[in-house]
Amino acid sequence: MENQTRFDLNAAIESWRQELAEQPSLASDDRRELETHLRDATAGFQQLGLNEEESFWLARRRVGHPRQLGEEFVKADPAKAWRERTFWMALGIVVFWELTQILTFAAGIALYYLFPSLYVLYMKSGFWPTDAVVLIIGIALARGWFAQSMKLMWFLKNRFRLVSLVVILALLLSLTQTEFSRERFLLNGHHPSVVAWAWAPWLENVRYFLLVYLAHFVAPLIFLVLLFPAQNQNVPKHT
Amino acid sequence: MYNTAMLTKDLVAASSKPLLLSILAGGESYGYEIIQKVRELSGGRIEWSDGMLYPVLHRLERDGLIDSEWREADTGRERKYYFISSDGRKALKTERQQWLAVHNTLSKLWKIKPVSI
Repeated sequence: MENQTRFDLNAAIESWRQELAEQPSLASDDRRELETHLRDATAGFQQLGLNEEESFWLARRRVGHPRQLGEEFVKADPAKAWRERTFWMALGIVVFWELTQILTFAAGIALYYLFPSLYVLYMKSGFWPTDAVVLIIGIALARGWFAQSMKLMWFLKNRFRLVSLVVILALLLSLTQTEFSRERFLLNGHHPSVVAWAWAPWLENVRYFLLVYLAHFVAPLIFLVLLFPAQNQNVPKHT
Repeated sequence: MYNTAMLTKDLVAASSKPLLLSILAGGESYGYEIIQKVRELSGGRIEWSDGMLYPVLHRLERDGLIDSEWREADTGRERKYYFISSDGRKALKTERQQWLAVHNTLSKLWKIKPVSI
């Protein structure tokens, strides 16, 4: 039977990948591995003389239904889904916290130069407008409004990149603690930690900041991940 | 799906470890290639479902019997290659002795020539 629309292999693989992404037990590395397998299998069928579409559907069938795949991976390591969830949740919280801080600072600078009268109000407000903006972004993300563009986000592709993002943001954030920025912007802010660091030298601040950061976010994260150790189960039954 | 000539589920599951270790002992490989190889060597009698292979590979990796690495293939795409570790070679030796012990016992009962372990 001839299809009305032209078959697009990459689009088909993309939609398959989305189905896989719904399985919490499949880590991004697992999904990537399964995708290379699907592509190899598709190419294999094409070499046998089938067309692209037929090859894709046969390969898809061979690899297995995403839900079944998820179940098999769970059997192999039941705690994995939770380790994955905890990892992404914890780092997600950290990134959000960092973005809130940076946005607070950036809005402060912008208002200081552009609308000095609003700046005074902003300082008095306890920075709630930026908190509100971040909250709205958070809700939008949670509801999947940016789901399409999220996929294009380079730093969300794997663990290493997400951790890199956290580190880069942390360094950016530590820059907001320099003498210059403190003097001008955040000294009267309501964030007590910022005021408390105000008089220490810059490097000292960065060091302190990173320590606080480690204690508050990274340590609990490591703890949580360790809480769900890998479990060795019997070899999953083949179906 | 299964006909009498094909291995039962239990036997497929039990033999996956020695099969994977033996294949990787002969050189590094990746999921798709491993499945093709098993299908070919077994004359189609051992049919591993593609997606189920990976949990087994990952378990062997966690047990330290194999290692893996993402590497670019000739096609330009990256593939996850698996290779056997020294612990894996030791485990394979044990597996080999055990499977041959079963084989030899059955061989004697069936009056087939046993193989040296």
